[in-house]
Amino acid sequence: MSADIVQLRAETAIARRAFKQLWIGAAAWALVFGGTVAASALSYVSSFPTASSRHQLAVTTGGDTGLAVLLGPVSSIDTVGGYTVYKCFVFLTTIGAIWAMVAATRLLRNEEDAGRWQLLLAGNTRPARATAATLGALGAAVAIVFCGTTLIIVLAGRDAKVGFGVGEAVLYALSIAVAPAVFGAVGALTSQLGSTRRMATGLGIGAFGLSFIVRMLADSGPHARWLLWATPFGWTELMRPLTHNDPWPLVPAAVTVVALSGAAIVLASRRDAGAGMLAARDMSSLRPFGLSSPSQLALRLEFPVLSAWLAGAAAAAFVFGIIVKVTTGKVPASLTKTLGRFGVKGAFANQYFGVAFLLVATLVALVPASQIGAASDEETSGRLAHVLAQPVQRARLFAGRLLLSGAAIALSGLLAGFAAWLGAKTQGVNLHFVSMVGAGLNVVPTALVTLGIGALLLSVAPRRAAGTVYGVVMWSLLIDLLGSIVARLSWLDRLSLFHYMALAPAQRADPKTLAITVMFALAMCVVATIRFGQRDVQRA
Amino acid sequence: MTVTIRAELLTKRYGHNTALDSLDLEIQRGEVFGYLGPNGAGKSTTIALLLGFIRPTSGAARIFDLDVRRDAPAIHRRLAYVPSEANLWPSLTGGEALQFLGNIHGSVDDAYRTALVDRFELVPDEKIRAYSHGNRQKILLIAAFASRAELLLLDEPTTGLDPLMEQVFRACVHEAHDRGQTVLLSSHILSEVEALCDRVAMLRAGRIIETGHLEALRGIAALRVRAELESSAPDISRLDGVSNVVVDGQTIECDVTGSMTALVRALAAAGVKNMTTREPSLEEVFVSHYRDRSAATGSDR
Repeated sequence: MSADIVQLRAETAIARRAFKQLWIGAAAWALVFGGTVAASALSYVSSFPTASSRHQLAVTTGGDTGLAVLLGPVSSIDTVGGYTVYKCFVFLTTIGAIWAMVAATRLLRNEEDAGRWQLLLAGNTRPARATAATLGALGAAVAIVFCGTTLIIVLAGRDAKVGFGVGEAVLYALSIAVAPAVFGAVGALTSQLGSTRRMATGLGIGAFGLSFIVRMLADSGPHARWLLWATPFGWTELMRPLTHNDPWPLVPAAVTVVALSGAAIVLASRRDAGAGMLAARDMSSLRPFGLSSPSQLALRLEFPVLSAWLAGAAAAAFVFGIIVKVTTGKVPASLTKTLGRFGVKGAFANQYFGVAFLLVATLVALVPASQIGAASDEETSGRLAHVLAQPVQRARLFAGRLLLSGAAIALSGLLAGFAAWLGAKTQGVNLHFVSMVGAGLNVVPTALVTLGIGALLLSVAPRRAAGTVYGVVMWSLLIDLLGSIVARLSWLDRLSLFHYMALAPAQRADPKTLAITVMFALAMCVVATIRFGQRDVQRA
Repeated sequence: MTVTIRAELLTKRYGHNTALDSLDLEIQRGEVFGYLGPNGAGKSTTIALLLGFIRPTSGAARIFDLDVRRDAPAIHRRLAYVPSEANLWPSLTGGEALQFLGNIHGSVDDAYRTALVDRFELVPDEKIRAYSHGNRQKILLIAAFASRAELLLLDEPTTGLDPLMEQVFRACVHEAHDRGQTVLLSSHILSEVEALCDRVAMLRAGRIIETGHLEALRGIAALRVRAELESSAPDISRLDGVSNVVVDGQTIECDVTGSMTALVRALAAAGVKNMTTREPSLEEVFVSHYRDRSAATGSDR
């Protein structure tokens, strides 16, 4: 009997430990999700205050199959709820799915890769029970996202112009929670299949991509609509929250979560600790690429991550390019006015891209954050010591790493500009090529400032550098958006990195400001490089 | 003799915690020098200071008569380092890691490296993430020995190695010694130090408490004496240098430090059937030093 009590304690401890790693992120995402929904609903009632303006928008956009394929349920765009769901659909489902899937592989497979999971299993528990406990913690984190999002939607819904009921808000939050719940379970399953975190995450991303494509196919026309039942994103869409409020698609979602979680728990008990159900390729002949210098090795090791960031920035800009088609129709004055709050002027297409590139700038500014994180991990894991014990100049090593990040930033900006131009071109909208590439490159100096901040932090406190840089970028975006929605908070803009970036192509980028920004970033990088050469190396 | 490593009053403090306290050290060229101490004594801190990874709070260190901070790249071109934690790049294979380390060091004896891969039984096509801890350690050992560096800084280098590979490691150190390479071997595996080192320094709580040749260290430690007597054992407990006296009938055992003259006279008076003496092992020297010093200072830092 006492043995049973001890076993319960072991699983409780495992669940608590996992929850401790998740709850802050979950609470942050709840705020972001709820805030996004609230901002979308409030901006809609402000931009389209009359029935005629909403009708006009629906006529322009509501029947566009291309938009439905890309962004999801667009048909009810003439209502507050319909527009809000459409506006937030891709963003919230994508972020929710990726967050939960990555969290699951981190808690399960990454812990196993590091050997910590085996320590837990050496306690009074079994693999299946420990896996179930971890999944319980992940479920609690998803519940935080659901509850926080519900609360904010309910608060936003109290605005008479928005008018969401409590039941509607709960159902909408549930529809948002479908993606993280399902893909958390997907991550748990791929953690049993893959023998490394990279493999488990890759399988999860594959499942995500497949589900996304199936949803796009399903939205391509009435003949394929049945496919919505075959993908988690389809279940969210079929619920049609805030308009038709259909709870039935929650049934396949719940069944899938239970089935995938159950499969993960069963597989956890049927495999060796440290191994996966799928064999990993642990043998390879020598590939000389990237073995000549520390900078080349950094390029080799970071190539997959940098490629993903470049592809992400280009894909986002491409989608923004496609959506510009809406500008070929007549645009309500209220929407122009909303975009005008960001300070952008001129033709609507330029105004639109001015704001769209703010979001691209956020993505590009996160590139150095990921690189600073990788450099910090290299040092605190002890790998940097093997390099520093060789005849290499510390400053040159650090500068090489910064140069790689800088090149990735510049390439991201360039690709984003080109992709936005190409996206518009595919929809028959011809934009000025040089102007669009210039708009893409315009985000580079701000991202370089982020790199400079990260470099400075890395040269002082490497363990805190990456988290702080992510925080600075997200803070900048948040207060920039907030300042544009709430006029009284517009003074906060000055605390955002993006405040000092011209919203090209709507605003003309001032060469002097660009030069000063780049010089400022370079100065920070130089100081960081000198400081890095002087400080103690952090040991594992 | 040429001095390869010289540290003078080398001190490292982290806030109120003194990791290394006024270290004075000289290691001659071609010497295999053992650096002994329990966990947290300051061995790894010393090596991090010598590599220029961390700044001394005070004092200075020179290697090849160059400043360890200012001239780090020039020094590192002539040394190789093996830490106890072999955290390498998991996505590289063992062969790729060896290639990378060789490339950036700039000095590799390819034929010797190939031979070492065979001797350490390393599978170079395997990804590092699939290696055991011991196998990852082999990569660093092979890279260090294959560099033919003038100085090898080995910080608990055999962590995770099995006894057979430990023998291969010892053979490699002997070969390095024969070629005139200098070795600083930080360890708490006393049999390893005893088998390999010419001189040792014993470190405790950031301070060197003893330095010297192994023979000399043994000499200052107690000698174990056992004698079978023809009559009942005399009272020898009051004699100078005699301790740990155990009497069993006409057999007597004790430890003795310093001159044995008084003890031999006392035993001879009782008639000696046979008498054996045994030099202490390094382990006994080590344990005796740390036990005695702990008792003297009350507690460890």
